[in-house]
Amino acid sequence: MSTGTQLLVGMADIKVAKGPATFTCLGLGSCIGLVAFDEQADVCGMVHIMLPEAFKDKPVDKIGKFANTGVPAMIAEMEKLGANPSRMVMALAGGAQVFKFGSAASSRLDVGARNAEATLEILRGMRAKISAQDTGGSSGRTMIVKSDTGVVTVRTVHGGETELCCLRRGRRSAAA
Amino acid sequence: MSHTVTIEQIVSKTSDLPTIPAAALKVMRETQSSSASAASVARIIVTDQALSARVLRLANSAFYGLSRKISDLPEAVVVLGMKSVKNLALVAGTYPWMKRPLTGYCLGPEEMWRHAFGCAAAAQIVARMSRKCSEDLVFTAGLLHDIGKVALSVWLENKMGAILLYAGREEISFDEAERRVLGYDHCQVGFHLATSWNLPEEICSACLYHHTPAQAAEHQSVVDCVHVGDYICSAMGFGLGGDGMLYPFDEGSLTRLGISPDQIDAITDEFVEKFEEYEALFSEIAA
Repeated sequence: MSTGTQLLVGMADIKVAKGPATFTCLGLGSCIGLVAFDEQADVCGMVHIMLPEAFKDKPVDKIGKFANTGVPAMIAEMEKLGANPSRMVMALAGGAQVFKFGSAASSRLDVGARNAEATLEILRGMRAKISAQDTGGSSGRTMIVKSDTGVVTVRTVHGGETELCCLRRGRRSAAA
Repeated sequence: MSHTVTIEQIVSKTSDLPTIPAAALKVMRETQSSSASAASVARIIVTDQALSARVLRLANSAFYGLSRKISDLPEAVVVLGMKSVKNLALVAGTYPWMKRPLTGYCLGPEEMWRHAFGCAAAAQIVARMSRKCSEDLVFTAGLLHDIGKVALSVWLENKMGAILLYAGREEISFDEAERRVLGYDHCQVGFHLATSWNLPEEICSACLYHHTPAQAAEHQSVVDCVHVGDYICSAMGFGLGGDGMLYPFDEGSLTRLGISPDQIDAITDEFVEKFEEYEALFSEIAA
């Protein structure tokens, strides 16, 4: 059942909403879908990260494209709607290894693993509360977040749709 | 396991298969010829009214930023160039059947299409960086590299689910599962199809070897570009059906093309821009 505003979070997009909204991040391969939620302010945000780090010698065309620019930008957008970073709870999915690499292959090729690590490093640096993560593996994912219930689900071709976590406190403690 | 349809049956019964319009194929062959001219290319396209209309719509899109409207094909060829018009004709000709869902590969409507032009865009960037082969030819090869999947999906829709499960259970690549179950894979079907359409050799090779580029005895640079483009496009989530993640990546392609693994991020970054440009352009033919 869809609730509130429907937001499709495409490549390098940052979407934020106050009040009920459904965020959908389609076709995450090596990309990362990161969601943050401030329950008290009822503000939710999502970013579709494609690469770990912006290039030093090139202007950033889309701020959501890189982990090191996209995460702070999403939080700043949420703050404009009244969210407070210290209250935010986060979840992330994606970062799959697309294609198999030989044992001698350069680790630079595994963009998925580097995306996940770069995102987590930024979140650790912010002392962010991470409710759940579903990263790595070899499946493409679609990540769906319904802010009215706080439920985050991940869908894969082989595994179907499963609940990753709930970002609302009531459900979190009930599940604990 | 035994297979029930031979590769020859799949390719020979073309009346049941989606095909590229004859005019688009003729354009491709004509532009390979040394005697091709703007007039000769335009003469071929105008024989197909639907194709002509779509090519003109593309030529007049914001992508090309022309100050005035192009109203006929000869003018389009003169203004945009023969190679651009050839690619537009191919894009316009392949869209109607590439846009269909390939349920056998767990690909929804337009997912194969987005993978096809996404691979073409990524392979084109790789070709430009490597300077080893024609960007234009690589674009075409990227666009058509998975035509075998379209054919297989039409014929073996009911069986593809079983192949998908088999590949997952055995943890093998999907083309390997296709070979074990059917006796052939989508690369071989694509090669037969491309050959039967008299497509240029480079494109036939890309269809056959895009998952095994080291095996390509000829036109290896084109095959390598498509292999890397396929990887970049899949990594960005385009065309990730049931089979998307289990193919091996041959780092030798990068080595042969003179591209360092450190350049993958830059290629990906450019791919995102290019993909969005093409998506906006090609939405004109869907409109």
